[in-house]
Amino acid sequence: MMSELFSIFEYQFFRNAVAAAVLTSIIASMVGTYMVSRKIVFIGGGITHASFGGIGLAYYMGLNPFAGAAVFAVMTALGIEWLSEKGKVREDSAIAVLWSLGMALGIIFVFITPGYTPNLMTFLFGSILSVGKGDLLLLLIFSVLLCIYFVVFFRPVLYTAFDPEFARTKGIAVSAYRYLMSIIMALAIVLSIRTVGIILVLSVFTIPQITAMIFTRDFSRVVPWAAALGAFGSVAGLMAAYVLDIPASAAVIFFLTVQFLIIKACSLLIRNIKRKRVSG
Amino acid sequence: MSVPLLVMENVSTGYNSRTVLEEVNLKVYPDDFIGVIGPNGGGKTTLVKIILGLQPIFGGRIHFPSGRIKTGYLPQASQVDRSFPITVRDVVASGLKSRNPLFPHLSSSQKKRVDRMLDEVGLKPVEYKPIGELSGGQLQKTFLSRALIEKPQLLILDEPNSHVDKNFEQELYSWLNELSREMAIMLISHDIGTIAPMVKTIACVNHSMHYHPSNQISEEVLKVYNCPVDIIAHGPIPHRVLKRHDDE
Ligand SMILES: Nc1ncnc2c1ncn2[C@@H]1O[C@H](COP(=O)(O)OP(=O)(O)O)[C@@H](O)[C@H]1O
Ligand SMILES: [Mg+2]
Repeated sequence: MMSELFSIFEYQFFRNAVAAAVLTSIIASMVGTYMVSRKIVFIGGGITHASFGGIGLAYYMGLNPFAGAAVFAVMTALGIEWLSEKGKVREDSAIAVLWSLGMALGIIFVFITPGYTPNLMTFLFGSILSVGKGDLLLLLIFSVLLCIYFVVFFRPVLYTAFDPEFARTKGIAVSAYRYLMSIIMALAIVLSIRTVGIILVLSVFTIPQITAMIFTRDFSRVVPWAAALGAFGSVAGLMAAYVLDIPASAAVIFFLTVQFLIIKACSLLIRNIKRKRVSG
Repeated sequence: MSVPLLVMENVSTGYNSRTVLEEVNLKVYPDDFIGVIGPNGGGKTTLVKIILGLQPIFGGRIHFPSGRIKTGYLPQASQVDRSFPITVRDVVASGLKSRNPLFPHLSSSQKKRVDRMLDEVGLKPVEYKPIGELSGGQLQKTFLSRALIEKPQLLILDEPNSHVDKNFEQELYSWLNELSREMAIMLISHDIGTIAPMVKTIACVNHSMHYHPSNQISEEVLKVYNCPVDIIAHGPIPHRVLKRHDDE
């Protein structure tokens, strides 16, 4: 049984899927920890769904759909950051508008594209089992650049997320860092849509991170924990998908959630035992 | 008299074209210890944000006769997110400017400075704790250390005595007494009774600002300044708490 399970690694497509899952987990560990810490996961949702409009438009114009998604995602992210900085519009309503408008535009463009109808399921649920060399290279380059960025600029990234006003009094270019992080968030989300799809992408940016925060509430430690938990959970999910013959990205999310629940339960149990020891 | 650190002339400001502060005239000297009082919503926090360059002004002028000054800022408790995953040490270190913006890491001498600061205020044992696990006093100590670590010329504390126990409050006030010999301090509070004995002058902020060049202030004067107070007698000093806007 075990050897049968691992024999799947002999297939190129599965090895690619595992590599994509691991790289996506690494990207999401940094960007997701930033999002969860700043409590802006909802903005991630807005970016994700708005990017569907870009996919539709790119189809209509005969361009690469992921390039279209990237343009829409970056514009949405910058727009939301701009609105929240200006404090003009209530952020959550603005996000809700972009969220649904993006989905609507996507559907409309796909509908009016003559002839060929693309497989919407690919975008909604990703296609991790068909990632190619090009996709992997893109994921690899992005994750390496992101790691370098986070290591070199860790202090200003952390401080502008935690207390932007204080950071500004220390001469940090807060707006520049915030806008740059918006662009990074948008690109990270679009790259992950390729693997896990629009519907599920937010979970790889949040579930491993909140799981990691059970162990530590130190930003610089949350990131590696989230990467490890994300990679472990998603590879386990991929293997389960193969064995049980269920959709891969859904299995990944399911495993990440189960992992969270088990760890949460264990931590509650341990805390209870400790408390009893102290009182008894 | 020495050169002021900053001068505000007829400054007005607000949010989305609603004016919340106007006709503010204030000079802050290097040896000042100003108690900033006023009702909730009176504009105290807005005033310090102007000084810190965080709040654009509608009119008037603010300038720094002896050049840009180093400030240390302790924000109001409601302004920081206690659930953010950050350690005491990282918060304190965030008070230090990086020498090189292209590689903004701390130098080894800066790291030692963080160690010394943590030692001085007794936070060393909790340096790797996330701020969410601290007591109110420990949290304020953390933010005070962040404000002090670069030895500012002007220390601004926005209601540092809220959500802390009486012990810490006393400790804080004795620190401020010492610090006031080395730097200018603006201490914001909506409780005049506790801060009056310590400060040298008082600024009443309620839409506009009235500067009172002494720490002796009577109720009549406060009324003239549009800073209504209630007297609640407890303890040896008459403990006056300013009326809240929303209680009226
Ligand atoms: N970011 C903001 N946007 C809009 N209005 C604000 C903002 N911050 C403060 N205000 C308003 O400005 C006025 C002064 O607030 P503030 O300076 O915080 O007063 P205080 O610190 O004295 O309690 C209040 O009426 C408040 O509602
Ligand atoms: Mg205030």
